[in-house]
Amino acid sequence: MSSLWLWVALGFYSLGLAHALLTVARRRQAWFRSALLAFGLGFIFHFVALVEHGLALGRFPVTNISEATSLFAFLLTLGFLVVYWACEMTSLSVFAFPVVFVMTLASALSQRPAVPVSPLVKASWVPVHVSFALVGYAALILACLAGVMYLIQERELKRHQPHAFYYRLPPLDTIDRLGARALTVGFPFITLGLLIGAVGASGAWGPDWIRDPKVALSFVLWFIYLLLVISRVSAGWRGRRAAVLAILGMVMALASWSANYLSAHHAFLGH
Amino acid sequence: MQLSLIGLSHHTAPVEVRERLHFPEKDIPPALHALRERPGVGEALIFSTCNRVEVLARLEDGLEALPLLADFLATTRRVAPESFQSYLYHHSQRDAVRHVFRVAASLDSMILGEPQVLGQLKAAYATARAVGTVGSVLDEVLTHAFAVAKKVRSETGIAASAVSVSYAAVELARKIFGSLEGRNVFVIGAGKMSELAARHLLHSGAQTVFVTNRTYARAQELATQWGGRAIQFDDLLNHVAQADIILSSTGCPHYIIKKEHGVRFLAERKNRPMFFIDIAVPRDIDPELNTLDNIFVYNIDDLEQVVAANRRVRQQEAVRAEDIVEREVDRLLARLKRLELAPTIVALQEKLHAWRQQELERARLGTLTPEQRAAVEEMSRALVNKILHLQLTQLKRLPQEPDGLKFIEFIRRTFQLKD
Repeated sequence: MSSLWLWVALGFYSLGLAHALLTVARRRQAWFRSALLAFGLGFIFHFVALVEHGLALGRFPVTNISEATSLFAFLLTLGFLVVYWACEMTSLSVFAFPVVFVMTLASALSQRPAVPVSPLVKASWVPVHVSFALVGYAALILACLAGVMYLIQERELKRHQPHAFYYRLPPLDTIDRLGARALTVGFPFITLGLLIGAVGASGAWGPDWIRDPKVALSFVLWFIYLLLVISRVSAGWRGRRAAVLAILGMVMALASWSANYLSAHHAFLGH
Repeated sequence: MQLSLIGLSHHTAPVEVRERLHFPEKDIPPALHALRERPGVGEALIFSTCNRVEVLARLEDGLEALPLLADFLATTRRVAPESFQSYLYHHSQRDAVRHVFRVAASLDSMILGEPQVLGQLKAAYATARAVGTVGSVLDEVLTHAFAVAKKVRSETGIAASAVSVSYAAVELARKIFGSLEGRNVFVIGAGKMSELAARHLLHSGAQTVFVTNRTYARAQELATQWGGRAIQFDDLLNHVAQADIILSSTGCPHYIIKKEHGVRFLAERKNRPMFFIDIAVPRDIDPELNTLDNIFVYNIDDLEQVVAANRRVRQQEAVRAEDIVEREVDRLLARLKRLELAPTIVALQEKLHAWRQQELERARLGTLTPEQRAAVEEMSRALVNKILHLQLTQLKRLPQEPDGLKFIEFIRRTFQLKD
């Protein structure tokens, strides 16, 4: 896999990481404009890397963990840029930049030469299933980051003693709405992604597919996602409780993601 | 060029001294004229507020600035020099520029980062400019000072957070709700502080105000004043849930709003957040409400604490602001040095005569008789001197012109004089 552009993107993302670390260390927004520019450039090169890789493979590049992680980091960057564009939320960068950097790094390091993939992965529903699920995950990460920001800001406000974060983080209401919106966008995607996966998988393996641990975890995750959305809409859970729930949902998602390593069908390479 | 500043401020002088030297607005133009009349005074500016009286002047080199300016203060304000001399500070050259920058950037203010001082300085500048005592140097110093103040405000947090209790309350409300547009405010008990805070909230976009008070008439009075709604005091608990921000300052000896009320409000509001500002002593709002999710309670001490924290932040930011000021002082002094008049005149003379020589050599005057050649040379010299003379009379007037330095810069550029 030609990885040059991915490494270039990573180089730009590392400036974003430096910005985040510096901001935390100096307790002051450091070089945000330059970091944002670097991040935007990283995003463009990341896109180039994805396209080039896809063209080289002759298919949508989500056939192994490395590729999926790369696409995921890309979607997350996109999510961040959309949020920044929509509500000028600069402080999200401190949380989002490191995540994107780490994921891209993980993807770049775990790149392997293209091997012949199982016919299953070549099935046309797989890319749709994977990318929809990834959009759902990316939205969940954003909701989780918003949750973390909410909890920090809420603690500052409840304790009556403002610290550095108090001056930097956006208002509670804004953070809360970001979390809610991320979930509303992510939920249809993850639902569709799982549905497509379920239909496609039952076609390919028969009734056996449901016993896959990853599949089971994914459904648990979907229920949590559903709970997150419903609790906000109907039970009026907002603020702290919604934030905690979003973070828990993210933990579940991580478990589900790491189950890729246990799962027979989601190891991507097939058997 | 000698730039000098003398003055006294809240840092050095008590109010009894400051008030005696204070210049009422109408006295400033004649005083400026009087100062300019004095020998050796090129430019002058008087800056007089309740916190400071300062005189900034460009003087001839070698003049003793302190006695001259102190005597000017004593005679124009008709005060004995001994009564204020010990409170005076005197800065010259670099220190004077730095002082002006620090004052403009509100680094020398009683409340660090307060914005009024910049406006006052701009007014003083406008007055002096209108009177005609601002020339090229003071104009440069002052306009640069305004730019520095702007830079400091935007690049440091020196003016970022509230340092009064009522503003701190508004700021906290913003930290919770984001925009206050369309939020409802409930004022319980009409006191001075809650009135002030309510007014700030309304200015910031809050929508409806409910007012309640032990004496209903007073509540009605305030409600009409703010275009709000008066509520009977006994009925208040039925209306609180409609409000996002509750300002309380009654003389009640016990809590008016208790934790169980808070639980009820939240259920009614579907957990939309509420912000209670309790400025009453004894307190009106049970502090236990703060333990409920989506309810934030601040009492007067909490607000004071926030204000204290904000002050500390301003002090930290002031350190960075001082760095900016120092850098800008360097920049301005470098510019003033580059655009000094005398070296510019010398350079201009040299340049024009050099050009004359060049052209004479290029004109190949070999065929002319010595007399003819001498005549041509004489003519060229006369021409250059004529042009120079015109330029010099203009140039020498420039120090008195506010835009003088810009002209010098223009001359230096058109005649390609080296820096």
